[in-house]
Amino acid sequence: MDPFDILGQIITVSHSNLEMTSRIKSILNIVSQEMPFDEAIVYTLDTDKRLTCRYKNDKSILFPLLTEYRSHIGEGIVGSVAQRRMPEGFTFKDVPPRLGCLFYPDLDESIKKYKGFFFYPLSDDSYLYGVMFICSSIKARLNNSDKAFLTMIAREIGGILRSNQLVISSKKRISELATLSELGKIMSSNSIPQDILNNIAFIIAKALNASFVTIRLSHSFLKLDSQRFTYGEIDDESGEEIKRLEEEVKKRRETLSLKDLTPEMHNNEAIISLLTAPLTSTGRFLGTVTIGGPRTQPGPAIEENGRYLIETIANYISNGLENTLLTIKLKDVLKELNNAQRRLLEQETFRNLGEMTANIAHEIKNPLVIIGGFTKRLAKKARLGHTENRYIEIIIKEVTRLEAILNEVLNYVKESPMVIKESKITDFIDELIYLFSSDSAWENIEIIKEYDESVTLVPCDDQQIKQVLINILMNAHHAMKGNGKITIQTGRKTINNRPFASISISDTGGGIDPAVIDNIFNPFFTTKEGGTGLGLAISNKIVLNHGGHIQINNLIGKGATFIVNLPIKNNIMREENI
Amino acid sequence: MKKARLLVVDDEENIRFLFKEELEEEGYSVDVASNGREALDKIRQSVFDLVILDIKMPGMNGIEALNEIKNMNKNLPVILCSAYGEFKQDFSSWASDGYVVKSADTKELKQTIQSLLRVT
Repeated sequence: MDPFDILGQIITVSHSNLEMTSRIKSILNIVSQEMPFDEAIVYTLDTDKRLTCRYKNDKSILFPLLTEYRSHIGEGIVGSVAQRRMPEGFTFKDVPPRLGCLFYPDLDESIKKYKGFFFYPLSDDSYLYGVMFICSSIKARLNNSDKAFLTMIAREIGGILRSNQLVISSKKRISELATLSELGKIMSSNSIPQDILNNIAFIIAKALNASFVTIRLSHSFLKLDSQRFTYGEIDDESGEEIKRLEEEVKKRRETLSLKDLTPEMHNNEAIISLLTAPLTSTGRFLGTVTIGGPRTQPGPAIEENGRYLIETIANYISNGLENTLLTIKLKDVLKELNNAQRRLLEQETFRNLGEMTANIAHEIKNPLVIIGGFTKRLAKKARLGHTENRYIEIIIKEVTRLEAILNEVLNYVKESPMVIKESKITDFIDELIYLFSSDSAWENIEIIKEYDESVTLVPCDDQQIKQVLINILMNAHHAMKGNGKITIQTGRKTINNRPFASISISDTGGGIDPAVIDNIFNPFFTTKEGGTGLGLAISNKIVLNHGGHIQINNLIGKGATFIVNLPIKNNIMREENI
Repeated sequence: MKKARLLVVDDEENIRFLFKEELEEEGYSVDVASNGREALDKIRQSVFDLVILDIKMPGMNGIEALNEIKNMNKNLPVILCSAYGEFKQDFSSWASDGYVVKSADTKELKQTIQSLLRVT
C-alpha cells in the first residue's frame, strides 16, 4: 500500500470517535499488516512511573511474555528509550553490553527468530506517555522513510494517549471541584459542628470511593461530646491500625499511608489501605482525617490516588476548624465585653442611685437630728409623768433606728477604695465562726468547716470580704430562725479558664422563695422585718469589685448555698481596663 | 475660769439652736453663723476657742471655710460635723481637727470638743 494511504488510514483512525483502546489497536494492526511488522506493541507510563505493556497488534506473540515485567524509567531497553526519549533500533546481536539482553534472558529463545527490534518514545515536548516497540522477522534495519513513518505514527499514538490523559485528569479535577464545592457548602452552613463533620466524612468517602472515613480532633476545643467523626464501618483491627497511623501523622505532621508506615509487610499481607492527612492551621495540630478501604477493592489503591485530594480536603477542614475556633473565641471575648459593659452600667446606675440616696439621706438627717436632739432635751428639762416619758422614749428609740438606717444607706453609697492584699481566707472564716459561736443567738446553730487545704492565699480586701461573709451568715441565721446547720466549704475552681477560690456557705433554712430570688441582690430589697435590704446588695457589689461573683444554689425546702467566687490571680485591674 | 468660746456654723437654724442649747448647758459660750462667709467675719471680729463646722452649706461650704479659717489662724481647732459618715476617714487630709457625724445624740460631739480644748 502506498505510504500516504497508510498514513491517511492511520490519521482517520486516530481522529475517529472510537474508544481509545480500539484506536491504538487499529493503528498497531495497520502498522503490522501494511509495513509489515510481526509485533507492534505499546507500553504506557503508569502513575507509579513504571512502563506497562498495554496494547498490541492482533497477531502479536510476544505480548503475553512482555507483560510479565514492568520496567522503571531507565531500566532495560524500554526504560532507557523512555529516559532518553530517542528512538533506538537493534538486531538480536548488537544489543549494547550494558543491557546484556533485549528484554530478559528467559525471553531470548522466543525472540531469536526476529531480525530487528525498534523502539520509539511516545512523547510530546514536556511529557512522556509510553514507548512503542516494533519488531520484524524480515528487516534488520529500517530505511529512512520507514523511520520517518514510524516517528509520525509514534507521534500520533502519543497524541491519543495525551488527550486521553487530559480527559481523565479533567474529569478527576471536575469531580474534585465538585467535592470541594460540596464541602464548602457544608462548612458555610449553619448546622451544628457535629453534623458538619459527619457530613464531611460522608462526602470524602463518596468522592474517594473509600469504605470509611474518620476525622479525629485532637482537642476538645469545639466543646463537643465526641472527638471522632466517622462514616462507614471500621472493624477493631482496622481501628487499631488507624490509631497507630494517626499517632505517627501527629508526630510527623505529614500525610502518610499504612504502606509508608510498614512497606515491608504491605505488599501481600495487608488487607486494608489507609491514608491519613494532618489537620493543621498556622502550625497548630488540630487533628487528622483518615480514609480507608479493603486492598482488594478494584481500581487503583487509595494510597496512590487519594493523596492530593485528601490533602486539599484536609486544608479545607483545617480552615473551617480555625474559623470555628475564631468564632468561639470571638463569642467568648464578646461575652466578656458584654459583662464588662454590664458591670460598668451597673456601677453607673449605682453611682447615680448613690448620689440621689446620699442627697435624700442628708436632707432627712438634719430634721431627724433636730427632732431627736430636742426630744432628748425635752426629756431632760420637762417634768413629765410616766406615760409621757414612755412616749418620749419611743420617739428617741425610733430616731436612733432611723439614724442607723441612714448611716447604713450613706455607707452603702460610699465608694471606699479596696485595700487588696494576699489574705488567708480560712483565718478570717475561723475568726468569724469564733465571733458567732460566742453569741448566744447562735447557740443552736451547728457550724461545719470543710476546708480545701490547697486554697491558701487569696488577694482581697479582707475587711470587705469579712463583711460579705457576715451578711451571708446573718441571712443564714435568719433563714433558719436561729436553729440549724451551716456548712462552710472552701475550694478551688476554674471559670472561663481562670482560677478562682470559692467560699460556699450552706444553710438548712428551707431555701429562698423563687418569687424573690431575682431581687435578692437589689438594694433596699428585704424579707426581714426591720431589714434595710442593703446587706446582700453591698456584698454583691464588694465581690464584683474584686472581679468575682456570688453564686446561689437554691434547694427549695432544704436550704440555700451562697458561693463567693474570688479570682486567685489578681485580675481586677485587667477587668477594669477592658 | 473663763468660759471657752465656741462658734457653731450650720445653715439649718434648728441645728444651730440645738447645738447652742446643748453646748451652753455644758458651760461653753456659744455663738452661731449660718454659712462659711458669716463664720469668717465673726472669727475676724472676735476670738473663739473652737469652731464646729457643717460641710454642706450654700455659698461657701464647710471645706472651703475650713481652709480659710486655718489660713487665718492655724491653731484654732475646727470640728467638721456632717450627716455624711463616709467622709470621716478623710478629715485628716482636710486639716480639720475632728470629724463628728451629725446625730441627735450629741455625746460624741461633746467628747470631741472636750478633748480638743484640753489639748489647747
